[in-house]
Amino acid sequence: MSQFFQQLVNGLTLGSLYALIAVGYTVVYGIVQLINFAHGEVFMIGAFGALSVYLLFFDGQTGVWILPLMIIGAMLCSVGVAVLMERFAYRPLRNAPRLAPLITAIGVSVFLQEFVRLFYDKIPTFPSAKQNIPFPQIDVVTGKALEVGGVTIQRAAIFTVAALIVCAALLWYFVNRTKSGRAMLAVSQDPDTSRLMGINVDRIIVVAFVLGAVLAAVAGISQGLQNANIDFRMGFIAGLKAFTAAVLGGIGNIQGAVVGGLVLGIAESMAIQYIPGQFGGSSWKDVWAFVILILVLVFRPQGLLGARVVDRA
Amino acid sequence: MNATDLAKLRLPETTVEKYGRLGWPASLAGAVVVIAGALMSWSFNQQVLGNLSIYLNPGALQILTIVVALVAMVLLFSVRGPLARRLGPWLDTTRGLRTAGTALLLYMIIVLLAIGIDGNGLVNVDPGGWVSFLGALLLFAGSRLLPDRVGLQDMEQAKLPSWFEILVIAITMAAILFGAAYALGLEDAWSFVLFLLFAATIAAVALRLGVLSWFGHIATRNRKVLTLAAFLVAFLFPFTQNGSDANMSIATQVLIFAATAMSLNIVVGLAGLLDLGYIAFLGSGAYVSAMLSGSAFATIHWKPPFLVVVLIGATVAMTLGLIIGSPTLRVSGDYLAIVTLGFGEIFRLTMFNLDGINGPLLSNGPNGIPAIPDLKIGSFNFGDEHTLLGIPLGRFSNYYFLLLVLIAFVIVVFARLNNSRIGRGWVSVREDEKAAEAMGVNVFGLKLLAFAIGAFLAGLAGTIKAHQDVAVSPDQYIFLESAFLLAAIVLGGMGTIAGVLLGATILKLLPEKLRFFSEYRLLFFGLLLVVMMRFRPEGLVANRRRLLEFHEEDEELAVAVEQEHLTVEEAI
Amino acid sequence: MTVTETRRTAREIGQPVLEASGVTMQFGGLLAVNKVNMTVREGEIVGLIGPNGAGKTTFFNCLTGLYKPTSGQVRFAGAPRKPESPKRQQSEAAEAVPVQPLAALTPLPPKPRAVVRAGMARTFQNIRLFANMTALENVMVGRYCRTSSGALTSVVRGPKFRREEAATRARAQELLDFVGLGRSTEHLARNMPYGDQRRLEIARALATDPKLILLDEPTAGMNPLETRQASDLIFKIRDSGLSVVVIEHDMRFIFGLCDRVLCLVRGEALIEGTPAEVQSDPRVIEAYIGTGEEEDEDAVPEQPQDVADSGEETP
Repeated sequence: MSQFFQQLVNGLTLGSLYALIAVGYTVVYGIVQLINFAHGEVFMIGAFGALSVYLLFFDGQTGVWILPLMIIGAMLCSVGVAVLMERFAYRPLRNAPRLAPLITAIGVSVFLQEFVRLFYDKIPTFPSAKQNIPFPQIDVVTGKALEVGGVTIQRAAIFTVAALIVCAALLWYFVNRTKSGRAMLAVSQDPDTSRLMGINVDRIIVVAFVLGAVLAAVAGISQGLQNANIDFRMGFIAGLKAFTAAVLGGIGNIQGAVVGGLVLGIAESMAIQYIPGQFGGSSWKDVWAFVILILVLVFRPQGLLGARVVDRA
Repeated sequence: MNATDLAKLRLPETTVEKYGRLGWPASLAGAVVVIAGALMSWSFNQQVLGNLSIYLNPGALQILTIVVALVAMVLLFSVRGPLARRLGPWLDTTRGLRTAGTALLLYMIIVLLAIGIDGNGLVNVDPGGWVSFLGALLLFAGSRLLPDRVGLQDMEQAKLPSWFEILVIAITMAAILFGAAYALGLEDAWSFVLFLLFAATIAAVALRLGVLSWFGHIATRNRKVLTLAAFLVAFLFPFTQNGSDANMSIATQVLIFAATAMSLNIVVGLAGLLDLGYIAFLGSGAYVSAMLSGSAFATIHWKPPFLVVVLIGATVAMTLGLIIGSPTLRVSGDYLAIVTLGFGEIFRLTMFNLDGINGPLLSNGPNGIPAIPDLKIGSFNFGDEHTLLGIPLGRFSNYYFLLLVLIAFVIVVFARLNNSRIGRGWVSVREDEKAAEAMGVNVFGLKLLAFAIGAFLAGLAGTIKAHQDVAVSPDQYIFLESAFLLAAIVLGGMGTIAGVLLGATILKLLPEKLRFFSEYRLLFFGLLLVVMMRFRPEGLVANRRRLLEFHEEDEELAVAVEQEHLTVEEAI
Repeated sequence: MTVTETRRTAREIGQPVLEASGVTMQFGGLLAVNKVNMTVREGEIVGLIGPNGAGKTTFFNCLTGLYKPTSGQVRFAGAPRKPESPKRQQSEAAEAVPVQPLAALTPLPPKPRAVVRAGMARTFQNIRLFANMTALENVMVGRYCRTSSGALTSVVRGPKFRREEAATRARAQELLDFVGLGRSTEHLARNMPYGDQRRLEIARALATDPKLILLDEPTAGMNPLETRQASDLIFKIRDSGLSVVVIEHDMRFIFGLCDRVLCLVRGEALIEGTPAEVQSDPRVIEAYIGTGEEEDEDAVPEQPQDVADSGEETP
């Protein structure tokens, strides 16, 4: 039984990570119908941003007060990249056929990966990014795991889940109680009418990208704390799975992204544990996510909670 | 509209008026001086850029400059002089000369840079180099002062005898053949860049003169000759290698890549389906072929004749295509991209895991299946060296010919499907899916057909690839490879044959030849995708329909395209 | 060629081709179409009128399988006709085209392709041509469902392929001539004038060899001359053996064209009958004028003869 709970905990942890990244995909897709292929790289750059802040100012220390500063550093980097991406790569292609922004997104993704890989160590005293870089282990959020009734809970895992809860709450507040948030909902329903109502659609689109980036940055730090290292490729698979989560929950639907992420994480953990025979085990875990994606698209393309996309057809 | 216009540097009107008359003589002087300089020594150091240090015996790169300068002189004499009456009214010489001037200047700058960097300092540059540089500068400046040309006749109306057109095609093809052979032989990256610049210059000048579109028209009119010539050239290529197999290895890589890209072109270019996991179909074919190859590591102990293997491999790939296509082709295009990407990853992971521990032993896991023996069809062993017409042809040459057959097949399938009921159906689906459905077009069926055919052809290519590469392993079939295939199509020109071939060649060839770039090649690849999509989404060789699809708002373009279509029979 | 008299009775009205009974379409809380019945017979031209938002296009969509009706049934006269001989250019006298006996009415599945194969074609309210294809290619796409060259045939290019391609091309050219676009075959659909685009859409629909053609506002945005030409074209279509249903707002056009008219208001059938009956029904007049709709000027004609004769006054 404790195995089950252990996997449940693992699943929630994993799922929280997916959820944080998935929101970025879903929000952008809901507004501009673009699969921001490079969002995984935004996540990766968030992690590197946090690491950079640490290396620049706090190298060697582990006090937990550093964490908020790292978070800010991560957010600055993620948001910066996301805004630049939107402004220079995606905005000019707003009216192009769907293929163009998608290819561009792939290009941006490859570019960012390589950029980090090649140039990270050009910053004085920074290590080379061509292989894993150890991520600082901050007090309180890393260290000795907690044992609760036979289930091992990593401290970093608690941080991740807590971060999701906080972010989800703030997100809810933002979307439902602030002007920008509601404007975002309006634009994802009907951009033309929103424009007529005086909403600056361009600005709202930037807001959407920023929102996704902020959450991705948090996810980046979580991943770094959990795995104790980061590398330039971490965005690729995480990004794909997060997109799966977004579709699973209902693309364009923010609650859907969160729910989808959690469900996916739990499903993955359970699959590792409970699928019998050779196909169980962690070497197949990535496959299950994609299988789930295909199943969702075949049997319930609107996702668990229903999609919220403008019908462009 | 097109932002790629280097020759847009314009002098203020007053300068042009004041000094305009100097334009022609200055340009002529420039061209002559360039030639003079090219006949002298450019570099003291004999190792740089091939030997450019002998007087009156120009090295290859110097000959290239002489060629460009001669072209410039021809253009100048078309404005004023012996050729003025025959060529003058047709060619936009001013723009051509400006392009030539800019290019020559760029060329000489790179030459100087190369000699300086590789040859330890600009002091190594002999007077000849500076003379040619000066000449290029003169030509550049002079051409800027030339007046714009108006009232030119449309080259489409040029009435030239048929044999002349065929001759032009033949000469162009031969030039491409020898140019390619030469280019592949260059080992020095600087030389290669310079040669590329030369080729680009000729193309750009031809474009600016209007000659390129004329060539396009005669190519269309003499389509069969062109195709024949192209294949002849491709066929003769191995014979220019003098027995060396090194370049043939690269050539076979290019051909496999091009064949796969052309097959993907059916899925993406014709049917408009975005497949990001296409590499999996290539991999399926390759793995099937490897498993049935009789290699010591093969997991299936059965070795059927190769033609059977080909069929099995292609069929397996096609089945996978049908399996993945049936559920997902009904959903929107964006989702299709991600799903196919997921499938590509599933394939790779599965191959990685079927090592007997995590799954049944089929693919030999991360190590893959090495030591695949060479193909044998009948008594012809692809691994052996054969001699034809007195020239030894090695292993890679053998595969090269087989791949030529493959790519010819793929091209034929592509072209014939394009001009058929199926092809029209695909275009209608791309244009307006719902309307197509309402007109009775079997939208889903057509999409599935494209997917299946694409998968089949990729599987076909894969079966050959396994033998050629001698080994298969999961990390040959990563997502990045799918991205490269897609890029070849997108950059070259979706839905065109020449475009995709060009794109595939560029993408596969450049990294091989520009070795000093290899660290940064992925970086540039990403950047290239972004820039291309921004400025020329239809690709290098633009199919008329694509131009319209990507520039929906452009009314003038729509009218222009229609005009052209009405006067010239539609090509590929 | 002007038509001063209606040619309504140029052909005999035959067996029912389409029978829609109790068709209802509900979108969530909105009842767009409510138990509408419509029967169309061979050789009939039926008009479908009603204010904007009455559910006319929705009803069309239910007939053609674009929407699956919430309830009700659409029955259609089954198997497709194959024209024995090409449709000839229309001469002054209506030529007798041999009519095959129709199959019995069978229920139609709500799938656009099945509907087209059975013989019902349509045009769209906002023109949905394949913009970057030429006129000829557009019409050739219409032939898709009546031809069968598959991938293998297209690659091998045997005699069957060549024959079918030639036949498709010829038929497309013929249809373009039929609608009066014979000279515009190589023009891109997007470059054609509006009136031509409408005609092209009709040609494309005709390419599917339908028994019944549904025209959704074919004269929207046309001037009186073009409207007259459209009217002639529809008669030509009828005379070549098809039945036609037309949605329109132009009352003069409808009443001069149709054998019967069905008026929908707010999703329900208000009245069905001959143009005279419908025109003079006070509820119809109320629906068009009383609701303050501003139709084009033609919608409120200067006293159609029958109304004046019957002594009714327009309020």
